[in-house]
Amino acid sequence: MATQTEQQTGSDEQNLGPLQQWTQGVLSDQEKQQRLYRALFYVAAIFFLVTTLFPFYWLLVLALTPNSAILGGDWSLPVIGLEFPHPQGFNVVAFVEVFQQVPFHLYVFNSFVLAVTTTIIVIAVASLAGYVFGRLDFPGRGPLLLGILVVSYFPPAAFLIPLFDAFLGNAVVLPFVGIELFEPPRLVNTPGAMIMPFSALFLPLSIFILMTFYSQIPDGLEDAARVEGTTRLGALVRVIMPLSAPGVATAAVLTFIAVYNEYFFSEIMALENVPQNWSPLVGGILSYQDQYTTDFNLMAAASIVGVLPMLILVIVAQEKIVSGLTAGALKE
Amino acid sequence: MSAETDGQVPAAEQHSRRSGPLVAVTRWLENLGETAFAYLLLTPVFLLLGSIALYPLLRTFELSLYANVLGAGEPEFVGFQNYVEMFTGARNADFPGSTTFLPATETSSSFPFIHVDGWLRSALIVTLLFTVVSVFFETIIGFGQALVLDQEFRGRRWVRAAIIIPWAIPIVIQGMIFYLMFHPSTGFLTPYLSSIGLVAGTNTLNDPWSALLIVTVADIWKTSAFMALLILAGLQSIDRSLYDVAKVAGATKWQQFKMITFPLVLPAGGIAILFRTIDAMRIYGLIDSVSSCTVVPSLSCMVVETFNTARGLSSAVAFVTAAIIGLLVTIVIIQQVREGI
Repeated sequence: MATQTEQQTGSDEQNLGPLQQWTQGVLSDQEKQQRLYRALFYVAAIFFLVTTLFPFYWLLVLALTPNSAILGGDWSLPVIGLEFPHPQGFNVVAFVEVFQQVPFHLYVFNSFVLAVTTTIIVIAVASLAGYVFGRLDFPGRGPLLLGILVVSYFPPAAFLIPLFDAFLGNAVVLPFVGIELFEPPRLVNTPGAMIMPFSALFLPLSIFILMTFYSQIPDGLEDAARVEGTTRLGALVRVIMPLSAPGVATAAVLTFIAVYNEYFFSEIMALENVPQNWSPLVGGILSYQDQYTTDFNLMAAASIVGVLPMLILVIVAQEKIVSGLTAGALKE
Repeated sequence: MSAETDGQVPAAEQHSRRSGPLVAVTRWLENLGETAFAYLLLTPVFLLLGSIALYPLLRTFELSLYANVLGAGEPEFVGFQNYVEMFTGARNADFPGSTTFLPATETSSSFPFIHVDGWLRSALIVTLLFTVVSVFFETIIGFGQALVLDQEFRGRRWVRAAIIIPWAIPIVIQGMIFYLMFHPSTGFLTPYLSSIGLVAGTNTLNDPWSALLIVTVADIWKTSAFMALLILAGLQSIDRSLYDVAKVAGATKWQQFKMITFPLVLPAGGIAILFRTIDAMRIYGLIDSVSSCTVVPSLSCMVVETFNTARGLSSAVAFVTAAIIGLLVTIVIIQQVREGI
C-alpha cells in the first residue's frame, strides 16, 4: 500500500524524495490519510492476533509431534528448509496418553467441583451483600464497602501461614490476646481447604458486580412484589435476581474462571499432587512437569485439554466477561 | 427467637394462616429496621472475610514477632528482630536454595539483581522489576489492543475473543506454555534469542536473568488483555461528538488522539495500571511453573519457600509484602473517598 501511494505522488512532484513525497501526499490528501490509518489498523490487528494465538499454535504443534521428533529439535520446513515450528506428524494418541500416564481427568474433575462449589457459595453470599450495598441505605455502608475492597487486594501469601495452620487442625488463637477459640477439623487435602480461601478471595469482585446490577432494578418492581405479600428476601430471590440474571451470570462466569485458574492455594492446600488429595488442574499439569520431565508432547496435550473449558467459556460468554471485568474494576 | 417475635407482633401472627418457627423467623426478619437487616444479611460476608482474610492477616503479624518455633512449646517473643534480621541479611541461611543460590551468584557478576546479598533484597528487586516492566508493557500493548477493538470492523467479536483468551487461561498452563517455548530441549526460540544474547543458551529456565525475562514476557502476554478491556471501556465512554467537532475544526487523526482520546482515557488507564500493579506484586504461580522460586525469588515465593521451616521469618516476609501492597491500596482508597463511594 505504501509503494502504491508513492507511485501516485511520484509523477506529480519529481523534485522531492520518495518518502517526502509520500508524506506530503498523506498530509494533503484526506483519502490517503484514511488508507494509511486503515493499513496501520490491519497491521496492528494482525500483530495482536499472531502474538496472542501463537503460543496456542505452539502447544498444538508439540502435542501432535511425536516426542522423539521434538527431542530431535529440527523444525525446518520440508521443502523451503526455513526453520518454522510445524507439526511433524499427526500423533493424536498423545491426547489419549495424557489420561493414561496420570489420571488427568480426575484433576480436571476436582477443578470443576471446586469451581462450581465456590461459585455457588460466592453467588449466594454476594447476592445478599449486593442487595444490601446496592439497594439499602444504612450507616457504615461506605467504610464497609472500602473494607471489602481492601481485602480483595491483599496477597494470598499474607493469609497463608495462619490459614495453613488452621487447616492442619491446629487451634485457632485470637491474635494478640492468646485465647484459644476452637480447634478446627483437619481440612488439608479436602475441598474445604481450597473452597474457603477461594470464596473469600473472589467474593469482593462478585459483590461489586451484583451491587451494580441490583441497584439498577427500579424500586417500584420490588415494592410491587412486597405489596403482593413477598418478604424482602423473597423479593430478592423472586424479582431482583431474575431481573439481574445477566449480572448473576457475569459474576458466576468470572468466579468460575478465577477458581479454575487459581494457582496459589490450589498448589499448597493439597499436600501432594495426587487427585485423591483434591489436587486440581494445577497438580495434574505440574505432575507432568515433575515426573515425566521429557514427555514434552504430553505436557502440551495436557495443557490443551486443560485450556479447552476456558476456551469454550470465553467464546460463549465473551460479553459477560467484558462487562463484568469493566464493571468490577471501574465502578468499584 | 420465635418467642420474642410472638411477643412483638401478635396481631400479624394471628392473621397469618401459617404458623411455626419458619413463619416466625420470617416475620421477625420483616420487622427488622433497615440497618439491622443490612447488617444481618452481611453476616456471611463478615464471617468469611473475617476468618479467611482479617484473622490470618493479624495472626501473621503476631507470628512475625516470635522466633521460629514450630510445633509444640511456647514460642519466644522477639519483637521486630525477624524484620531486622531479614533486612540485614542475617537470616539468609533460613531460605532453602540459598546454599546453591548465593555462592553461585556472588562469584559471578552477570546477575546484577542478586548481587545485593540476601534473599529479601533480591526478592524486593525481582518483584519491583517484574512489576514495573510488565505493567509498563501491558499498558502500552493494552492501549494498542484497545484502539484496535474500538474500531468497527467485521469479525470484531472474534478478534476480541482471541485477545481475551490469554487472560482466561490457568496460570499453570500459561507457565507450561512458556516453559515449553523456552526449554532448551523444545524451545525453537531459545537458539535465536541466545545468539543475540537475550537469554542463556543452556539451562535457560534456571538462569536468573533469562527466567525473569521469560516470566515477564509470559505475564505481558496474559494480562495485556485485562488492560485492553479497561482502557476500551474508557475509550467507549468518550463522547463521539467531540470527534465530529474536531473534524470540523480540521484536526488530523493524530491531533484527535492527542487532544481528545488520550487525556479522556487517562483516568480509566490510571485505575487499570493501579490494579495491575497490585496484582503483579503478588507474582508466585507463574515463577513456580516456568522456573523455580529459588531461581527467581519474588516476595510471595519467599513466604511459600520458608513457611514450613522458619515460621516467624516467613510471617515477617508475608507482612512486609502485605504492607507494600497496603501502601498501594491506600492510594486506591484515597481516590475512592475523593470520588465519594
